[in-house]
Amino acid sequence: MARVNTVLGPIPSEELGFVAVHEHIGYGMPGSELDTRWWKSPEQRYEETVPKLRAFHENCKPYGAATFVDATGICNGRDIPYYQSLSEKTGVHIVASTGFVGGDTALPFFERASVDYLTDQFLHEITVGIAGTGAKAGIIKVGVSRGFKMKELDLRIYRAAARAALATGVPIFTHLAVDVEPAIEVFHDEGLPLHRVLFGHADDGVSQGKVRDTWIADQGGRIGFDTFGYDLELPDPPFWGRPRQERLDHFLRYVQGGRVDSVLASADANCSPLGWPGVKGHTVNYLFEVLIPALREAGVDDDTITRIFVDLPAAFLSLQTPSPTTSPS
Amino acid sequence: MTGTVNTVLGPVPSADLGVVAVHERLVSVVPGAQFAYDVRIDRAEVFEAVAAQLRAFRAAGGGTVVDSTGMFHGRDVRLLEALSRATGVHLVASTGMGPEAMLGGYFLTPQTNPPTPWPADRFADLFTAEVTEGMVVPRVERRGLAGLAVTATTRGGRTATDESLLLGVARTALTTGVPASLRSDDVDDLDVVLKEGLPAHRVAVVADDPLAVVERGAYAVLTDPARVLELVDAGHAERVLLTTGGVGVSFGEDAPTASYADLTTALPRDVATQVLVANPRDLLAIEKR
Ligand SMILES: [Zn+2]
Repeated sequence: MARVNTVLGPIPSEELGFVAVHEHIGYGMPGSELDTRWWKSPEQRYEETVPKLRAFHENCKPYGAATFVDATGICNGRDIPYYQSLSEKTGVHIVASTGFVGGDTALPFFERASVDYLTDQFLHEITVGIAGTGAKAGIIKVGVSRGFKMKELDLRIYRAAARAALATGVPIFTHLAVDVEPAIEVFHDEGLPLHRVLFGHADDGVSQGKVRDTWIADQGGRIGFDTFGYDLELPDPPFWGRPRQERLDHFLRYVQGGRVDSVLASADANCSPLGWPGVKGHTVNYLFEVLIPALREAGVDDDTITRIFVDLPAAFLSLQTPSPTTSPS
Repeated sequence: MTGTVNTVLGPVPSADLGVVAVHERLVSVVPGAQFAYDVRIDRAEVFEAVAAQLRAFRAAGGGTVVDSTGMFHGRDVRLLEALSRATGVHLVASTGMGPEAMLGGYFLTPQTNPPTPWPADRFADLFTAEVTEGMVVPRVERRGLAGLAVTATTRGGRTATDESLLLGVARTALTTGVPASLRSDDVDDLDVVLKEGLPAHRVAVVADDPLAVVERGAYAVLTDPARVLELVDAGHAERVLLTTGGVGVSFGEDAPTASYADLTTALPRDVATQVLVANPRDLLAIEKR
């Protein structure tokens, strides 16, 4: 049976329904919790979050259930008991991450840790639970530190993630798909097939020209079109924004060019950001309010839309012990 | 010199501090260790362990322990309050952080393009608010006022962010009147603080070269009573401080356990009165300019 770890326990992948594959309840850089300028009362946090999840739940109904994959790393404000209460009260399945958004979000204790220790950390969070909550992680987050260049610590985390993914069957999500050669080398080296890896943010504005996305896809890697909605047309766009049409065209080249099975799509929105202002008005529901209508207008049929948001993520998120690839060397 | 000192339970006249363990780490958590799968932080156990050490200190004549871990190395204001109430030992907590390697990414690679590390003024604002408005219980509340501002520099040479932290701590001390403390292997770090206009008698330094520190008029923090006596003999009695060098309870790294009680018998009585009572009293008293 194909199963997926959610914060309220494992569920069959058939129950996931519509999946927003890379989202955040709330993300903040480690240390932002010390700066009161970002603090919100619990009332405000629930007020900002619950209506978005309830609207998401409603929007997902035609597809069955609603699944929200939270890609927040260990030191970035990940808050499992809060996610559990949100999931329980709204009915949205929430999948939590182990791992780190990048080496520069791993705090000193983990910065000093060996590959073996990091592997054990991830294994524990996937098979035993996160921080005494009993909730098991459903994905492993890894990523590239700021500067578009893999650092030694980033690669140590990638290697540990590959080992934990092989041992447990959970998939890996990357933050950024730039400087991808050393990452792919690590995955090859560890024997992890690339179809277990979502190379995230391949669609963002600042990465363009630095992402070899078709080269990754040709090797089986999943391409993350997972910053939908961070459009440069916004009144105050973030630095990673991109012209709306350009991103859509990029996506359509995959969807209508015979590569639909290589993509996964999401909005990377924060319900209630923790250590930054967030982007006003941008929510997970962009997928329903803007993206899906745009896809329909471009002639993408409903079966394909279901494939992108239901079938592909269900297969990707299912715990599967892949047959290891053999090292090319 | 007398004045008031910010303890976790409120302002206390500096004359009431008694024997002071002046540069301690009551509870130390390497940043991130609180999330480690094999680190179990049982608050009741931590409380019992630290409370036992504080009670022994009090029974031996101790009065005050200064926690110099700063704001991002396991500081837990509510636990410190409960410890102080339960044991009768005054506890002084600190704001600040450092060196650079101990900081969170929020300060080093912020979500801006480019990700420019924090400048001195932002650190100064962050630390100053902990002295004037209260210390943070992350994302919950502010409680109590910090009694000093601390930082440390990278061994082998300070980084640009270390320098911002030094200046941030110096400005906090200047604005609020609390003392500054640094852990540093290069007396040039102290000079950075002094150049910012902070008088030397408002600074304590854990240094490899204590003589250079006292010669500049700052306080040298030592862990070896024999070294204290050497400096006293050399005429620096008024600028020497003694600390255990241990940790109450440590998570994420091995550290020697502190015995605060041992401090009370580490020095001859007349020296102890100067080094463990008078010097910390003068250093910790808030000095309004
Ligand atoms: Zn994200």
